[in-house]
Amino acid sequence: MKGNWVAYARGYVWVKLIGEGSERFVNAATKEKIDLWHISFTPARELTFGVSIPDFFRMRPLLRESGCRTRIISRHGLPFRLAKLARRKTFAGGMAAFVLALFVLSTLIWDVKVEGNSAIPEEKIRQAARAEGIYGYQWSFRLGDAATLSQRLALRLPEAAWVGVDKRGTSITITVVESTKPEDKALEGPRHLVAKADAVVTRIVAENGRPKVERNDRVRKGDILISGILGDEKNSKHVVSKGKVMGLVWHEYRIESPLQSKTRNLTGETRERNYLIIGNRALQISGYGGEPFGQSQIRATIEKVRLWNKELPFGTMKEHELEVVEIGKKMTPAEAKEVGLAQARAELLAKAGKDATIKAENILHEQTENGKVKLTVLFEVEQSIEVERPIP
Amino acid sequence: MMRVSRKLRKWTATILDLPQDVALDLPRITMIGGLQLTVENHRGIVHFSPDTLKLAMDGGEMEVTGRDLVIRNIGAEEVFVEGEILGVQLHSKGKTSG
Repeated sequence: MKGNWVAYARGYVWVKLIGEGSERFVNAATKEKIDLWHISFTPARELTFGVSIPDFFRMRPLLRESGCRTRIISRHGLPFRLAKLARRKTFAGGMAAFVLALFVLSTLIWDVKVEGNSAIPEEKIRQAARAEGIYGYQWSFRLGDAATLSQRLALRLPEAAWVGVDKRGTSITITVVESTKPEDKALEGPRHLVAKADAVVTRIVAENGRPKVERNDRVRKGDILISGILGDEKNSKHVVSKGKVMGLVWHEYRIESPLQSKTRNLTGETRERNYLIIGNRALQISGYGGEPFGQSQIRATIEKVRLWNKELPFGTMKEHELEVVEIGKKMTPAEAKEVGLAQARAELLAKAGKDATIKAENILHEQTENGKVKLTVLFEVEQSIEVERPIP
Repeated sequence: MMRVSRKLRKWTATILDLPQDVALDLPRITMIGGLQLTVENHRGIVHFSPDTLKLAMDGGEMEVTGRDLVIRNIGAEEVFVEGEILGVQLHSKGKTSG
């Protein structure tokens, strides 16, 4: 008896020997190198022993010689198990079906994930993938290898800079790297650049189109500065004129600046009041004591109780009352004039654009009456004067 | 002739200090208490019953007596016996020794 599991794998039987001459048989078997084990007598004085299946068949000629017969008591080992299994067809079939099902299901693609897209809608990627055969419940052997798949997907998704397909077991991950696109330019029709105010040209740069004016030319409002029509009367082409024209523009301003100015300042004195809110009614809790300040400013913050995402009609309100004083200030006419001019300059620059500079300012008229300084000022501003006008 | 070769082998065994069973092909019997018995270099079974086991040997027989004897394993060279072993007797051809 070689190791137990070898005997089990080959299969063995317990045999009862019937007849005389058992010694002769055992000797003959030993000579033939037939392995018998556990040779023993039953209480009924019959010889029993174990023998492996191949040896059992080799043993039969020896039995005939020694005039004995055998009876098999019990069968053990894998071959008998398999035979038994073969008899239970449904069970064996179920086992085979399970293995088969496991195999078949593991060759399916169960999950398709899309990663890395933000501008390209996932649905579009999935559609492209579906066209290439990547979708849930697809046979994985019907898919090509990842490299060709990602190449073909990239062809279907021109917006993506790179597409990667990663197949791991039964799931596929499609990773998309989007290409950054320049912003679309607005469509522009053929046009002139014309002056938006009367001015003296100080600088003209034409990127596209034909300049019609030169430096130091006087232009009137609406004059063409850079023409969008190229060529002569016979052969002409309309283009989108582009360029920059700077010019000196005069603005006349009437300024009224009061000698008395009033500012509202916070003193820093505050008072707090708390309210309980139920519905649209507020119940004051703290901060009683009337109105302590002559002039004040009130800042209120309301906090409502929230239950998850719903706002409940209960809450608290906090009021800050800040004391305010008005400070009046008397100014000399010169100061009032300065204040007025400063404000006029700020207004002017805001109106003329950010590349505008004030070149000169002339006070044409100045008068102090009724507590006000009245000024008429002429500003000379260098600013861009071009404005687009479409060619019909 | 046989006698000469036998003497030569015996002389070689003595000179080289070899165990006698290797040199002379004699049975070697290993016994573990009264439970297990291994006989090497036997020449086949002469008789087997639950009480006695007779084994053929070179120049004689060997008799194992006991109760519920079981041959656990038998090969061309060795026998492995289990059971309640009560005695082992060696019978040279012709005469009996214990």
